Amino acid sequence: MSKNYTTPVTVTNTRREFLRKLGLSAAVLPFLANLPSLAAAEGEPRKQRLIIMFSPDGIVPSTFWPDQEGESFTLKESLKPLEPFRNRTLLLHGVCDRVRGDGDNHMRGIGCLLTGAELFPGNIQGGSDTPAGWSSGISIDQEIKNYLQQDAATRTRFGSLEFGVLVPERADTWTRMAYAGPNKPISPINSPYQMFNKLYGRAKDQEIFKSVLDDLQDDLNRVRSQVSTEDRQILEEHTTLVREMEHDLQQANNKDIGHAVPVLEPGVRADNDNIPQISKLQIDLLVNSFAADFARVATLQYTNSVGQARFRWLGIEDGQHDLSHKPDSDADAQEKLTRINKWYCEQLAYLAKRLADTPEPGGSGSLLDNTLIVWTNELGQGNSHTLDNIPFVLVGNGLGFKMGRSLSYPKVAHNRLLMSLAHGMGHQISRFGNPDFCGDGPLPNLTV
Amino acid sequence: MLFPRRPLPTYRAELSVLLPVLSLAAFLFLILGAYATPNNPSNLTGHSTLPDRKNFTKHRTGEQVYQQLCAACHGPHGEGGKEYKRPLTGDKSVGELARFIHQEMPPDAPHKLPVEDARQVAAYIHDAFYSPLAQARNKPARIELSRLTVRQYRNAISDLMGSFRPGNCLDSRRGLTGQYFKTRQNGAPILERIDPEIRFDFGTKGALSEQDDPYQFAMHWQGSVLAPDTGEYEFIVHTEQAAVLWVNDLQQPLIDAQVKSGNDNEYRASLFLLGGRCYPLRLEFHKGVRGVDDLKKLKEKPPQKASITLAWKQPKRAEEVIPHRCLFPVVAPPVFVLNTPFPPDDRSLGYERGTAVSKEWDEATTEAAMEVADYIATHLRALSGVADDAADRDAKLREFCRKFTARAFRRPLTEDVSHFFIDKQFQNAPNLETAVKRVVLLTLNSPRFLYREIATPAAPRLEAPHVEAHTSVVSSALVPAASAKVAASSPLSISADPYDVASRLSFVMWDSLPDEELLKAAATGQLTTREQVLKQAERMAEDPRAWFKMRDFLLQWFKVDNYPDLAKDEKKYPHFDATVTSDLRTSFELTLEHTVWSEKSDFRELMLTDTFFLNGRLAQVYGELLPVDAPFQMVSMDFGRRCGILTHPYLLASFAYVDNSSPIHRGVLIARNLLGRTLKPPPAAFVPLAADLHPNLTTRQRVALQTSPAACSSCHGLINPLGFSLEKFDASGAIRAREHDVPIDATGSYQSPTGEEVKFAGARDLAHFLADSEEVHTAFTQKLFQYMVKQPVRAFGPNALSSLLQAFQTNHLNIRQQMIETAVWAALGPQTELQNNDNRHSGTKSDTIKASEKISGKPPMTRITGIPKT
Repeated sequence: MSKNYTTPVTVTNTRREFLRKLGLSAAVLPFLANLPSLAAAEGEPRKQRLIIMFSPDGIVPSTFWPDQEGESFTLKESLKPLEPFRNRTLLLHGVCDRVRGDGDNHMRGIGCLLTGAELFPGNIQGGSDTPAGWSSGISIDQEIKNYLQQDAATRTRFGSLEFGVLVPERADTWTRMAYAGPNKPISPINSPYQMFNKLYGRAKDQEIFKSVLDDLQDDLNRVRSQVSTEDRQILEEHTTLVREMEHDLQQANNKDIGHAVPVLEPGVRADNDNIPQISKLQIDLLVNSFAADFARVATLQYTNSVGQARFRWLGIEDGQHDLSHKPDSDADAQEKLTRINKWYCEQLAYLAKRLADTPEPGGSGSLLDNTLIVWTNELGQGNSHTLDNIPFVLVGNGLGFKMGRSLSYPKVAHNRLLMSLAHGMGHQISRFGNPDFCGDGPLPNLTV
Repeated sequence: MLFPRRPLPTYRAELSVLLPVLSLAAFLFLILGAYATPNNPSNLTGHSTLPDRKNFTKHRTGEQVYQQLCAACHGPHGEGGKEYKRPLTGDKSVGELARFIHQEMPPDAPHKLPVEDARQVAAYIHDAFYSPLAQARNKPARIELSRLTVRQYRNAISDLMGSFRPGNCLDSRRGLTGQYFKTRQNGAPILERIDPEIRFDFGTKGALSEQDDPYQFAMHWQGSVLAPDTGEYEFIVHTEQAAVLWVNDLQQPLIDAQVKSGNDNEYRASLFLLGGRCYPLRLEFHKGVRGVDDLKKLKEKPPQKASITLAWKQPKRAEEVIPHRCLFPVVAPPVFVLNTPFPPDDRSLGYERGTAVSKEWDEATTEAAMEVADYIATHLRALSGVADDAADRDAKLREFCRKFTARAFRRPLTEDVSHFFIDKQFQNAPNLETAVKRVVLLTLNSPRFLYREIATPAAPRLEAPHVEAHTSVVSSALVPAASAKVAASSPLSISADPYDVASRLSFVMWDSLPDEELLKAAATGQLTTREQVLKQAERMAEDPRAWFKMRDFLLQWFKVDNYPDLAKDEKKYPHFDATVTSDLRTSFELTLEHTVWSEKSDFRELMLTDTFFLNGRLAQVYGELLPVDAPFQMVSMDFGRRCGILTHPYLLASFAYVDNSSPIHRGVLIARNLLGRTLKPPPAAFVPLAADLHPNLTTRQRVALQTSPAACSSCHGLINPLGFSLEKFDASGAIRAREHDVPIDATGSYQSPTGEEVKFAGARDLAHFLADSEEVHTAFTQKLFQYMVKQPVRAFGPNALSSLLQAFQTNHLNIRQQMIETAVWAALGPQTELQNNDNRHSGTKSDTIKASEKISGKPPMTRITGIPKT
């Protein structure tokens, strides 16, 4: 019944890619430069980056969506933290997850959010509907990552990084949003320490190794002086190799990372109450990894679909998912949910601020000038479990969208927004996920 | 060319030519048999003037030409003579040398030596003494300081880490321990039992009658899996339901299929494993649904089918259900398996050795040390047993590090070594995790870990004249440089330091570090007599690592260590597919294990057995009577028409072409590996004569025809008649009576270096000859020694080989016993004449040292105990 949506149809647009597809090398560039269409595509490339941030269980529409459309709009309570970035923010109302099929709305909400494709039938039973398995398509972050990694000019050490904040240690439809392909969910890295090791572990170990090199050479000299003349030769060669390695390490160190290895606050445990610290550590690492150009794509996932975090640091004892089921008439619950979403928005604002404060390495402006953050959710609203009006809050100038606006679309499929993200990153796909929802292509009015 | 070749119109005519060729081959062999021996006494010496072209036959060997024309000036071994003092050594290629000789030599008559003769001379001197390789070969053998080979390094690291997680999977039972649950939520198991392998089809019901709810039930299996081989293993779970598989790491699933999704019912994941070791394994199977509503909705439909299979693909094999013999019901501790890739070791002398270092190797060891350091840092609590919040964590972690370094260095740490490698590192580190990493990095990069026998200098048996202490921290010195010269040319004695003995034993038997018991024996003076050392070696032979090493040796001896490509012509051998070749390999290895690792461990049995392991699939191919799905079992094949491991279809098919047998490949295997004969590579690359261009010739005739030129005969006179003996086996290793309706001629012969000729009517005669041949016993003894010890046997004294051979024969050609003897000899060296172990073996000799007698009265060699002053 479900199809795999693995190979988005691609339209070439960049000049480099066009030439690559033609099989032409740089040697013929001078001749082709006369073609206007090609010459126009040429421009000073900038490093574009994309971050997708997820928080669960829907939002409170009345405290989230501005009443106005266009450039003059007022940020409501949930989005207040974005005030400093108001003119770098783009709010998209009316974008709907139209994907149906197996799985309940929470499952499809997160599983189809970035894939735009149905879930496979499976053995995970939700609160309603039929049981389902994993998504049948690749997620847009991975699609873009693969695109960037194909080209040496945009290739980075990791391509993409998947950060988690207290995502439960169980792999099921509710806990995964990034997919390397159909049935290929990617586990986010929950622990800042594990992420640190992934990013900097080897550099750290090399530092330690360098610190014992003197002792090692002493030891080699020592042993060498104590073996027979014939056997000394191999140890002499060995000593030379160690000396060479010391030299190489010094050389490598001079050009490598390009910024200081961050120092993590030690011993933050993976507990509910530490979510604020973990969030900060993960955001700091994310910004560091972008500054070091380890990756150009990242996801940042707070808990999971049906996430049940208890926001005790806000004085809220209830679990978030329980609260999200409370009716609109329950003013107390709606107030708490608003505060919860405001807290998520603060994380977004912190991320934006860190990016804005970090100069673009080797370029002009800041990282935020070249990064787009997309904050989203698996549901439009928790108590109705609607997949309509999924929150999409965009911050940053990375994709050439016209920011500083509040837009309202007439119930457009979110597949079209996913395509817009790809196009904004230079990847001209003509459909993504289920083609039935790709309609007229990328969303209009984004770039105006 | 010896005989003018003309087009041969008929088969009869060809034979008439071939017969003299064959007898000539034998004749030539008589003359040239010792072609490769540089010291072959030759009476063709003397005159330096070039003889008349007419009298100078074209068929002299390079050696003959050299001795006749060159030796007077250059010396019989190129060492130089009166006229020309410099030794003939250099790095010119054979081609360059030949050109030079032709153009310049002899100086009084350049260009007179025919090109072909010049080439022969060049080839001869290049190989005999000119090339760097020849020089190395001719140097007096010594025990060279060697780093750990890659194999040894990997094993040593695994065992070093394993020493902090004791335990094993050893159990006489096979299979996995299964727990059966009524619901998918588990609860208490309703049954626990050992399942021989995991291959179940439950249909739409429960696995047991007690599992009465067909909509949900669960099973957990756990135990260990033995990896028979080193390499990349692919684990495969087949199920329509949910399953999770852990291998080696019981925290992180290798396959997580808890979520059933779409039509996926096959899950695969790969893992690099070291052979001869057990890895913990756990498999969970769940039927039912997970999540919010659980079963309610599911029960609206009829129950689904459920089945589960746990399979694998061993390196270079076809997929199979993980067999019973590789599963154990006991959970082994996890094994640390290094992932860092290493450059391959030098194998130019026929065995891996670590007598050279390279930048790639140094980088790999550093990388590997970092991998270990990372692992230790991540698993510090589990490995050290020190709680993260322990009050005396510093002291306890130092203690852990001391153990780590001592085990890595294979000896207790002296105070100064301990200070240098541990305390100093702790003092200079900002925190304890970094301190531990410093210790690990320093230890694993130290020559004390990386080199074997670092403390075994070439100590002459004569007393070292100048013993000098290098620094005050060295209690007494090792043999100083001054005495090492003496050592190089004198028979070596071997240090009797008990820790050296322990280390030698373990590297020789296991290619790894000494275990706790061995170190304990060293510490308590239990490694000082031959008897004690023997006892340890016997104990060590029981360990799976010993068989694993023997297995690798045998695979190399039979030249199948690199997994020959067994693909065959699909039309001719329609059944010979990838599964069959994979089964054949398994059959070969099981047959080796069964015969060699049995109580008798009889070399003759290996060479004469007609009983091989077959499963149902192989039985179909080779016409034996077994049900198609029969597991591997001993089968006497072909009513005794097979004889010995050489007639195992795996070897026969390996040494064959896709559509024809290859007597040459088979003959080379027998001559070079089994008989230990030296064969040169052919002078040029040859393509075998195409069978379809000679439709009337049998394989035997085609081979004879192609190798009839004189240049071929010197080697093929030896090779072909050996290989012909196996002609009754076709390219797939099946028995055949005829080829193109011509009855197979499987007669063969062998001429020993001393000139005796043996004739074979076929494979049986050949097998019996090889089983009893002292040449074969010698080759086996030598190759086994060098494979185990990774040093030339000559370095252990001029009598080493003959003594070991004697031991082999006295012990009734017991292979396992020979492994033990080899280890004891290598561990103790030639101070003791080899003797028969004890009274279990008949024919003990009385003129050897008593078993209990002390090996050496001299004080143990000084260890490297010193550390640099800092």
